[in-house]
Amino acid sequence: MADLAAFTRFARTYQPGELIFAEYEPGDSFYLIQGGRVKISKIVGELEKTIDILQPPEIFGEMAILEGAPRSATAQAIDTVKVLEFNRANFEVLMMGNPQIALRLLKLFTKRIWDQKRRFMILTLDDPQARIADVFLMLYETNAAVSGGEQDGEKREFKVTMEDVSHWAGMSDTEVQTILNHFANQRRLEVYPDRIVVKNINDFIRFVNSRRKK
Amino acid sequence: MPKVGSYRANSVIYFQGDVSDKVFILQSGKVSLNYADIETGKETREVIQTGEFFGVKSALGKYPREENALVLSDAQVLVFNVPEFEVFAQANTRIIMKMLKVFSNQLRRVHKQVENLLEKSEAQSPEYGLFKAGEYYLKSRQYSQGKYVFSRYLTYYPAGKLAEQASRYLEMAEAGSVKYGDGRGPAPLVAEASARTGRATAESAEELVASVPPAQRAPGDTLSGAAKDYYDAVSLFSSERYKEALAGFKRIVEANEDPEYTMKALYDMGRCLYMLQQYDLTIKHFTQLVQTYPKHPDLIDTLYWLGQSYERKGDAERAKGFYKKILSMENDEDASTRIKATRSLRQLEGGKHG
Repeated sequence: MADLAAFTRFARTYQPGELIFAEYEPGDSFYLIQGGRVKISKIVGELEKTIDILQPPEIFGEMAILEGAPRSATAQAIDTVKVLEFNRANFEVLMMGNPQIALRLLKLFTKRIWDQKRRFMILTLDDPQARIADVFLMLYETNAAVSGGEQDGEKREFKVTMEDVSHWAGMSDTEVQTILNHFANQRRLEVYPDRIVVKNINDFIRFVNSRRKK
Repeated sequence: MPKVGSYRANSVIYFQGDVSDKVFILQSGKVSLNYADIETGKETREVIQTGEFFGVKSALGKYPREENALVLSDAQVLVFNVPEFEVFAQANTRIIMKMLKVFSNQLRRVHKQVENLLEKSEAQSPEYGLFKAGEYYLKSRQYSQGKYVFSRYLTYYPAGKLAEQASRYLEMAEAGSVKYGDGRGPAPLVAEASARTGRATAESAEELVASVPPAQRAPGDTLSGAAKDYYDAVSLFSSERYKEALAGFKRIVEANEDPEYTMKALYDMGRCLYMLQQYDLTIKHFTQLVQTYPKHPDLIDTLYWLGQSYERKGDAERAKGFYKKILSMENDEDASTRIKATRSLRQLEGGKHG
């Protein structure tokens, strides 16, 4: 762990349950967890959906680097949480003194850039069915499939819900539901409350490629 | 240790789609990265300068190469695997800083591109989104979280479309937090229906005791008979069916199964009478309540409704008496009623009302 003693003036403590920031709030700082767990969640309709649970020494809120962009999720302390709070003003000082943290942030950025680019690719597909198929390809590329492999042939299972798919595809839940039902009727996938199984991932690859403008 | 690699002109260091953990620095010669721009689809070429890294993002992020790395003239490169690169970078923080700047610019750019596309398909404004988040917390009785979100809303959008509603919800969250504590108490009414119909809620019964309609109640609620009847009546109240609600509350009082709900229902009967504009009956009912239960949990609100009823009847003096009584009581725990009483009193004393 880096020597962070010099940064105690950026230290913040949150009590269990306390919000560190809320979804849609404009953000100008990001955080390095020093103690306790932080829940990252989004409110979808009437439900709160946990996206991730982070612990030391993870970083969150790094999208604050995009000036004025609203927070894409809520961060809430699960335990008594100690963080260092950074913003554009003190960011450079921290990074220069802490190469490990800088490297972690660098890796986070590579992931975020890829996520955004991939999302862009999904959104540029005109055919709504292809868009949805491409969401599964994106998940497949990030190794998000929870099962499937050589022994399962081309079948892949994803721990996603319909709302996740709507989010990535930039489509309404009803539209997504119609298309998923259509795919299910064609026996190309199976929809369960907590997961979706793609029967033949290569079929989706061919389908999306045929719909993407060259 | 990083290795030195030599490539002939017109050869390829890596292809788009390759997966590899190699990171390169160009030492001499000429290399270009060729890719189709995601927005325009146009073939784009980026020439690497001597001393510059390439292949970093896909190697660190463990995703397929996004471009073809073509050798334009005989080139020598230094090849790192990811752990070697990490060791090297940590000893040269300036390099990471430089990359962070490049990456954050790329992130900004691609984020903007995505936003532009989404604007067409998905239009949730941050202002509305923040408000909805607060509403979620209030509805689910996470009062302190609701307090946080609504006060942030009011900080960012003091003149926002929903500012008035947000400040009311903030009061509700504050009151709920102190009165019941997080996760407890009846689920607050988030008066979506009344907001839609444009009913002036500032003077009407937006109250913590109101509840969500039965359809929205979490399944598997194990409510006692009295509790269930009570919340049924509360939902009638929230859908402005005051007569039916009054009948419901009256039945609970008469059955007297559970003292907690009897007390609550007794208070709510008064609110129904008030909403039905039966001010004399309201006064009679609440006066009796105060006499029978001088320590009723809703005492302060009861006094407020008494004040309101007198005000409606044109008896400003008596109304003021009740508001002053509220303000004189040590009742820090019920901020929202105090605020309302202060407001009503100010209006009466300013002579604008009644």
